[in-house]
Amino acid sequence: MNLRDLVILVADPSSYISMLIHGMLRGFGSNKILEVRNSNGVLQTLMGQKIDIMICDMHLAPHGGLSLTRAIRGKTDNEHRTMPILIMSSDSREATIKRARDAGANMVIAKPISPSSLYDRLSWIAFNPRKFVDTETYFGPDRRFKIEGYPGGVGRRAGDKEVEIGAESGPALAQDDIDNLFSSVQTGQD
Amino acid sequence: MAKGKHPKSGSRKPGPSANAVAKTKAAKSDNAKSENQKKSGNAKSGKTRPPGPPARIFPVDTRFQQMARRTGGVPRDQAIERAQSALEAAKPAYEDFLEREVAGLTDLVRTVEAGNDEPGWIETVAFRSRQLRDSAGSLGYELVAFIAGSLCELLDSIESGSECNMESIVCHIDALMLARQKSYRRMRPEQVPELTRGLQRVVKHVTI
Repeated sequence: MNLRDLVILVADPSSYISMLIHGMLRGFGSNKILEVRNSNGVLQTLMGQKIDIMICDMHLAPHGGLSLTRAIRGKTDNEHRTMPILIMSSDSREATIKRARDAGANMVIAKPISPSSLYDRLSWIAFNPRKFVDTETYFGPDRRFKIEGYPGGVGRRAGDKEVEIGAESGPALAQDDIDNLFSSVQTGQD
Repeated sequence: MAKGKHPKSGSRKPGPSANAVAKTKAAKSDNAKSENQKKSGNAKSGKTRPPGPPARIFPVDTRFQQMARRTGGVPRDQAIERAQSALEAAKPAYEDFLEREVAGLTDLVRTVEAGNDEPGWIETVAFRSRQLRDSAGSLGYELVAFIAGSLCELLDSIESGSECNMESIVCHIDALMLARQKSYRRMRPEQVPELTRGLQRVVKHVTI
């Protein structure tokens, strides 16, 4: 995956989390990373310049990442209408992930974020472009799709580097389950 | 914006597809039903939903997708290793950040506990604990991530209507003060089972 010269917008209320994501993206070879702390900042940035992909926190104040996604997808005269949107969320309950999918997000990535999970989701978006669906009630990537492993054999393999991540607790979904949920419509489980 | 391709103008075989035929039949059937209902004077006929325009499905190949597929990018293993190194490099500064954040949280909660009015304090504590949980999780400070995550759960339940129990919040702050210490900060939750079980009990008690 080649991220050079692509403009990536990281929208997270925490400057510290943004800095960590920034560092990871730099490691991936990205050289044009913008940061904003709230959804008004996102809207202003989108009006001012072309953004290639947005990585956005689900709870981005004041509108929330999902309302923001719906607004971007819903505005017909908006050049960013089909921009890939990757939603970051620490709330990985099934209902929350479904809401993100139905808002028009391309993917959801569970917080805390690890380098491999971020790389794989970006790579998936890059190498598996999905058709867009435009109906009366929805505009966004086709929610019926199937993940058949990450591109080019990318995925979790025995030789992958260990990433230290705190154990999740509560009724939450693992990242694999989140990915599967995005594909569940295809199999009629929605 | 990528150019959309309407199914009708696409490269599909001419003539209606099986889906289109089924939709047309269904629409005809709906119309017939509607007519019958009108004739019989059924009041519900006005509520029949008219069929909307068909869904438009079109391919999109964004600049991100085109550019990211170029050759010459950083190979996955190398990219992840470099990102991991960036996180490693952030760790020394993170420990200062951790000290500051826990101290800030402690001051705020103690101020509220003492009865001083701090508007929006729950939102501030929630923001800071989310930030601690997510950053500690990414950097491998598992015990800190666990305690901050437990505090987030507690605050979420308070925001959803549970009683605001100061003791349970103070209990989490005390646990964070312990976890920020050098001897604890790299521990895993399972290495301090009494602490983790205690916090889980507190959250369970408050959220029920």
